[in-house]
Amino acid sequence: MRKILIIGFKLTAICMVASLALGFVNVVTRPHIEENKRLALQRALALVNEVGTPGEEVIIADTGVVRSYYPVFLDDGTLSSFILRVVGVGYSGDLVLLANFEPSGRLIRAFMLAHTETPGIGDQPERPEFYNKFIGRGDADNPIPTRRTHLSRADSDSVAGATITFVGVANALADGAAFVRNVLAKDPNYAKDIGE
Amino acid sequence: MLKLFNKSILKENPIFVMALGLCPALAVSTTIENALGMGICTLFVLLGANIFVSLLKDFIPSKVRIPAYIVVIATFTAIVEMILQAFSPELYQNLGVFVPLIAVNCIILGSAEAFANKNKVGTSIVYALGQGAGFTLALFMIAFLRELLGTGTVTLLAIGTFDGVIRIPGLASAPIRMFGLAAGAFFVIAFLQAFLNWQTMRKKEK
Repeated sequence: MRKILIIGFKLTAICMVASLALGFVNVVTRPHIEENKRLALQRALALVNEVGTPGEEVIIADTGVVRSYYPVFLDDGTLSSFILRVVGVGYSGDLVLLANFEPSGRLIRAFMLAHTETPGIGDQPERPEFYNKFIGRGDADNPIPTRRTHLSRADSDSVAGATITFVGVANALADGAAFVRNVLAKDPNYAKDIGE
Repeated sequence: MLKLFNKSILKENPIFVMALGLCPALAVSTTIENALGMGICTLFVLLGANIFVSLLKDFIPSKVRIPAYIVVIATFTAIVEMILQAFSPELYQNLGVFVPLIAVNCIILGSAEAFANKNKVGTSIVYALGQGAGFTLALFMIAFLRELLGTGTVTLLAIGTFDGVIRIPGLASAPIRMFGLAAGAFFVIAFLQAFLNWQTMRKKEK
């Protein structure tokens, strides 16, 4: 019994020293990491948005596909589109995307903010050309393709080997388009009062 | 000490001789920049783990030494991950999932168990430096050949108006793309291993 207690004490001591070291490094690096994330978000917003200026982020939920949105305004103040932060389910974790939709639900542009897919196989959504098969689609008459069989032969071949990643991205974009069509197009101020 | 350092770089090279740490070697050796980044991160974790395992070898009970080593190694890996994320986010993104996977790199656990556990701190530091340098050198050689043959370019440091990328005429327009894939990495490792074996045998025959 005494031996086991000594072993437990020694392991606890090692874990405590490790925790202290990690806590110290976390305190030093956290501000830099947050700043890098803020800059990356700004770059991503600029990439998915060509014409207008994004407004304040409106948080919708911590779970589910659509997490938040940014209304995009033109210079004259008119609402032009919505940039949604959507989260899909990939092969090895969440696929976090920023996607800009017209009020009709048509996708303008999309960008992968974060993922944990296998490098070289499931990282195709990092490339802008990956989204060509979705852009211009998403309204009621022309839905976003969510299965490989909905794609042309060339597009279908391009996602071979990473079908789960493709389906994860496609479902997230399709849900985002449906949210814009069914909710934001009817109530552009949706959920704005939640954080107030 | 110098003999031990040289031995752990070449005669006991973790990739070409011991065939350890092949997963990150295949995955991140697509460009020289990624290979050097991974090599330096691994060297840091290897050094930290060897120092602490050597210092704590009499404190850690032998029954639970492997979990204790894993705690030490995982701590250094998490430190590297946070530092990379804070000060080199692009490299962090390029290395992706292979940064946290340093914690389960066989070279590090093998070095802690087979060497640092039985030797003094100074010797363990030299061994860790040699193994880390050997791993980095191997990654650099693999990445150099893969980038050269797979994309027809060699990436160096960007200075002024020079973007750091040298394009090889002929090869840049028609590269052998297979070398950019995992199968190409296997071929490169095999050729380099064969070359090193041939060199060793030739020296022995002399």
